[in-house]
Amino acid sequence: MKGKGLFTSGLFLFFCLLSLPVPGCTGKSAPPDEGVTLVFKHGKIAGDPLPFRQVLQRFEAQNPGIRIQDESLPSSTDEQHQFYVINLEGGTTGFDVFAMDVIWVPEFIRAGWLLDLSRLLSKSEREEFFPGPMKAVTFRDRIYAVPWYIDAGVLYYRKDLLAKYKFSPPATWPELVRIARTVARKEPGLYGYLWQGKQYEGLICDVLEVLWSNGGNVLKDGRVVINSPENIEALTFMRGLITQEGVTPDFVTTATEEPTRHLFGGGRALFMRNWPYAWNLFQREGSKVKGKVGVAPLPAFPGHASASTLGGWQLGINRFSRHPEAAARFIRYMTSPETQKLLSLTIGYKPTRKALYKDPELVASQPFTAALY
Amino acid sequence: MTHRKGKEGAFLFLAPALLILAGITLYPLLHVFRLSLHRRLLIFDISRFVGPENYLYLLGDTRFRNALGNTIYFTVLSVLLELLFGLAIALLLNRHFRGKGLMRTIILIPWAIPTVVSARMWEWLYNPDFGLLNHLLGFRINWLGSPFLALNAAVAMDVWKTTPFVALLLTAGLQTIPRDLYGAARIDGAGPWTLFRKITLPLLMPVILVVLLFRTLDAFRVFDAVYVLTGGGPANSTETLSIYAYKILFQTLQFGYGSAISVMVFLCVGLFTLLFIPLLRRRKV
Repeated sequence: MKGKGLFTSGLFLFFCLLSLPVPGCTGKSAPPDEGVTLVFKHGKIAGDPLPFRQVLQRFEAQNPGIRIQDESLPSSTDEQHQFYVINLEGGTTGFDVFAMDVIWVPEFIRAGWLLDLSRLLSKSEREEFFPGPMKAVTFRDRIYAVPWYIDAGVLYYRKDLLAKYKFSPPATWPELVRIARTVARKEPGLYGYLWQGKQYEGLICDVLEVLWSNGGNVLKDGRVVINSPENIEALTFMRGLITQEGVTPDFVTTATEEPTRHLFGGGRALFMRNWPYAWNLFQREGSKVKGKVGVAPLPAFPGHASASTLGGWQLGINRFSRHPEAAARFIRYMTSPETQKLLSLTIGYKPTRKALYKDPELVASQPFTAALY
Repeated sequence: MTHRKGKEGAFLFLAPALLILAGITLYPLLHVFRLSLHRRLLIFDISRFVGPENYLYLLGDTRFRNALGNTIYFTVLSVLLELLFGLAIALLLNRHFRGKGLMRTIILIPWAIPTVVSARMWEWLYNPDFGLLNHLLGFRINWLGSPFLALNAAVAMDVWKTTPFVALLLTAGLQTIPRDLYGAARIDGAGPWTLFRKITLPLLMPVILVVLLFRTLDAFRVFDAVYVLTGGGPANSTETLSIYAYKILFQTLQFGYGSAISVMVFLCVGLFTLLFIPLLRRRKV
């Protein structure tokens, strides 16, 4: 499927080259003299790039004279971070608007790389966003980025297999282990529970979720409490998933999001921890698990609450940008309720505006959207 | 006087090149050294002079020691294997056989593939679930996921990739050895082993030393191959000095401490070069 996508995009590019002066092909045509070209940098779009392109074209239609040059970076967040750090430290004007992971924003603000965007959002409008990402973009009462979409770790499960063996989605970790062991015994070649264990930023998210779901934490009142008994118990359990229970295959220590998503998408696993982006890919035409996947909050240890790392992306303006006005208009458009809804429906980017989680159309197409909220 | 003037002229002609060299190698080097004497954390907007503090911390840093150990292990093992395999291939290629030109070309392929691409390729080969390697072996080995195997797996990849380079240089060296030496020795009754030990090896030594110098320096600074393959994991078991420096510099933005690590890499590499140069000189005389 991926190969086919590559082929069609290659074909598309080929026709672009053939029809260079045709205005329908916005990819490469030269901007008009009085016009402004905004360079928009963000991580690779998971799934179909066409709807995303249409969202950008809608902005260009509404704002004549502004053209968006869409440039994506590799999906690895570590690599994106490196790209921004190197370029911003060098005072680049090579991009105007860019997407930041939730944890980079304070870092980039302190480094002085972001424009103050406080005037974009009134105090009351800020309330319409989830407090978590809003807090991340706020520094001394001023905001430096606008939350674009959120990410949170969730548990994917095989609805069909759980129904077959008469289980409901697990609420606790021991339950997950019990179900996974029972089902895996009867379904040869099926892995129990997949997560991301390669030494990278994703493993940190996975570990934090397990620690939090046992009431543990890294810092408490400004002190490091990483070796607390709760954390040790939680980590021992996580390791035991591989070494004791045999529920998780040992190769998760080399796995990032995509390899686990491919295995689960190929029908090879019962449970998987991943981000919301995987949902739309599983529901696509031709997916082996189409209609067989359910999503639930991550399990917790008995007596504790489920916890999930809040990821998510915020749009900010490069302080060295030559077109801050146009860039601000673009950010307002990208984070508006309409665009967020459109992006959620087409490529599964979860909105940052709370009200959208009550939107009937969204709830119907993305059943777990409401569960996330 | 004309002689003197000629010399001044030469310096004038060299000046642009020297300026460019100073600009692109000396300046960054001095800048990194200056940074390494600072405590500079972009995240907290801290930047102040601390003198040798970073270096003192380095001495007690177990992660630095681990990275140094990994780097030395990687360098010694991979260079040794590359030299052995490279020499064997070079000796084979130096014989006359049908299809020799084709063989030479084929052998170069691994070296021609960009490092990042071959690292990705090996990552798939090593995949325990659907990797080719486990499929051929018939059992499941978690190559990159176990701390002991991962570093050796990285060495194997590097050997596969760089042996052709070594073989190529050694083949070139072999061709400079006059054929009549072998003929004369054979008349004196020397066997193949004696020929190799008394003629091939000594006459090839200058090339071997150059190869060793190239490869040791490259292997010691290894970054992309291992970084793409494992990211330094699991549990830092494949973290080399360059990867450690990169993580400190560009992932945690500790420019001061990261620069101190980079300076240490530079010093190690410089030390190797100093050790090798007299050896190379002696051979030439």
